[in-house]
Amino acid sequence: MNENESEGLGYNRRDFLRGGSVATLMTLLGGVELFAQTNAAPAGETKAPVVKIKVAVIGLGAWGREIINTLGRLPQADIAAICDTYPASLKRTASAAPGAAQTADYKTILDNKDIKAVIVATPTFQHKEVVLAALKAGKHVYCEAPLAGSIEDAREIALAAKAAKNLAFQTGLQMRSDKQRLFLLPFIRTVALGKTALARAQYHKKTSWRSMSPNPEREKALNWRLSKATSLGLIGEIGSHPIDQAGWFLNALPTAVTGFGSIMFWKDDRDVPDTVQAVLEFPGGAQMVYDCTLANSFDGEYEMLYGSDAAIMMRESKAWMFKEVDSPLLGWEVYADKAKFYNETGIALVAGKSKAVPANDQAQPAQPDPFTDTPLNYALDNFLRNAIDLSAAAEDYKSSYGADDVEGLMEHLGKVPRRAAAGCLEGFQAVVTAVKANEAILSGKRIELKPEWYELS
Amino acid sequence: MKKRTLSAGTVALLLLATVSLPAAGQTTTFTARSGSKMRIEGTANILHPTWQIESPIIGGILEVGPGFPTEPGQAVTPGKVEAKADVFIQVRSLKSVKEDGSHYDDRMDEVMCEHLKEAQFKRIFYHLTELTLKEAPRTKDAPYVFDAKGDLTVAGVTNKITMTVSILPLADKKLEITGSTAVKMTDFKVAPVDINLVLGHIKTGDEVKLIFKWMVAQPKNRGAAAK
Repeated sequence: MNENESEGLGYNRRDFLRGGSVATLMTLLGGVELFAQTNAAPAGETKAPVVKIKVAVIGLGAWGREIINTLGRLPQADIAAICDTYPASLKRTASAAPGAAQTADYKTILDNKDIKAVIVATPTFQHKEVVLAALKAGKHVYCEAPLAGSIEDAREIALAAKAAKNLAFQTGLQMRSDKQRLFLLPFIRTVALGKTALARAQYHKKTSWRSMSPNPEREKALNWRLSKATSLGLIGEIGSHPIDQAGWFLNALPTAVTGFGSIMFWKDDRDVPDTVQAVLEFPGGAQMVYDCTLANSFDGEYEMLYGSDAAIMMRESKAWMFKEVDSPLLGWEVYADKAKFYNETGIALVAGKSKAVPANDQAQPAQPDPFTDTPLNYALDNFLRNAIDLSAAAEDYKSSYGADDVEGLMEHLGKVPRRAAAGCLEGFQAVVTAVKANEAILSGKRIELKPEWYELS
Repeated sequence: MKKRTLSAGTVALLLLATVSLPAAGQTTTFTARSGSKMRIEGTANILHPTWQIESPIIGGILEVGPGFPTEPGQAVTPGKVEAKADVFIQVRSLKSVKEDGSHYDDRMDEVMCEHLKEAQFKRIFYHLTELTLKEAPRTKDAPYVFDAKGDLTVAGVTNKITMTVSILPLADKKLEITGSTAVKMTDFKVAPVDINLVLGHIKTGDEVKLIFKWMVAQPKNRGAAAK
């Protein structure tokens, strides 16, 4: 876009720099911002008392602390305990979880009958021990992704979770709970993008991925992600999220993966690449390109889907659509507000604020605002609500039909509506892809992914 | 002389015994079983012309006297029958559903709980006070049709209701009890729902239809409990 053209539209480079937002950039590029909205009660509307659940967080690294902070904003979360083997981590987290018991031994949490749910954010290679013990102790479990560092461990976790029908189990693939992405799903699945040809995702950040530590022992424990022996590397710890998301949107599992990786910048004692690229092949010929580097931060983190009619870009909790000039009219466009951007017409889709409301139903209160919460917020919210509902459904069933009818109870619990979340199968399948993608990266080879590898049995 | 006092436990036992004693003759007890369904249907605004909530759990107990049809094809005489029933539904187990039975909306569920004052009144109760067999079924497989009078308690407010119920004795000493009735929510001091959802604005009407299928069975290993 040259300066003269942009001046004619009332935008120029100075305006853009002053605005400085990604949204401004995308709007200038002709992007259509796609909004979902919350179902939260509008201000002034009465709300039922919140049912709380006692929850514990096991593993208080940076992500564990993010989880604690997010739980602190969820009304149904009663953080009863926090756990880490490193005393300084407990101390650092304590202020964000006032009143929570502190322990270095996760088993004390599992022994506490009042704690109904646990969130496991330990290093990946420690997940199996904690998750299996938690399920055995009758706790609802949210386990961070990837579920495990090996397919065998992930299978063991997933099978145990599948067998525990009375418990909510969620894998921390939080995109699957994100309202923005759930809002986009029907667009993509109903081929609103036309023929999806390509998916792309990137994570660019100039960071060592190394945490500071006071002594060599702690250094090793803290930086487990930098060792092949304990980590699936960038593709597993970061890439498993967008790769899972691409498969979810495309409603398919990858059939092959080719990878490349090297240590380009952070030449310390790590043996996992700091720069990786993987190409995943999907049925029907669609491909996903994923690249991740810790050497450069240009353009940050985002995911793209490219179809023959339009492309969609997702950045954190926002998304935009870019239509091709020859794309057919979509039904919802009729109801959407329109605006001129450069030489294209942008179609604004703001759920609940469009002209779709019939004239005879116009006299209604203001709609809730489009959502702004993070995917993690939605994932944890859904987990806690699912756990609460499942516990309530079990109590109600037993109080009505007695505790003897175990088969009937399990059948009933299987029908309890669940909020959107990645379950044990999705978590297991994400590990299969991540493990094989990591193998491909480390060997520089193409690996065919057999469908039976993804079966959970 | 030493004054004798009754402990709370003794009083409770006496009360329990009083409640449990049959009016006359032999009674048979049925308790709730899975396979039940409570459905509440209502009208709403033009954007959402109808709404419905469902629960797959109906708890409670039914006690019937001699002459009550507990077996398929059992000969009976029309008229009042000896029967007592106390039925309940956990309010929180009621979930909004689409017409195809799939879940509708979390916020709608929350609002329903708010309107039904779930925090205070966890259960909807029905107490049967009178059951009258209208006529003997014409075929062996047909249900027995009764007029039922009872007290319905919703959100802590009790109203008398009358409805027709069909009772179909099944194998394994089970009964399938079905029926429906219309009530006005304002009779129970429950205000209509008026909210915005992602799926649009919904304002419910006052009259709702209660449709139920309640499965009960005699306790296993005991059969008809002669008291």
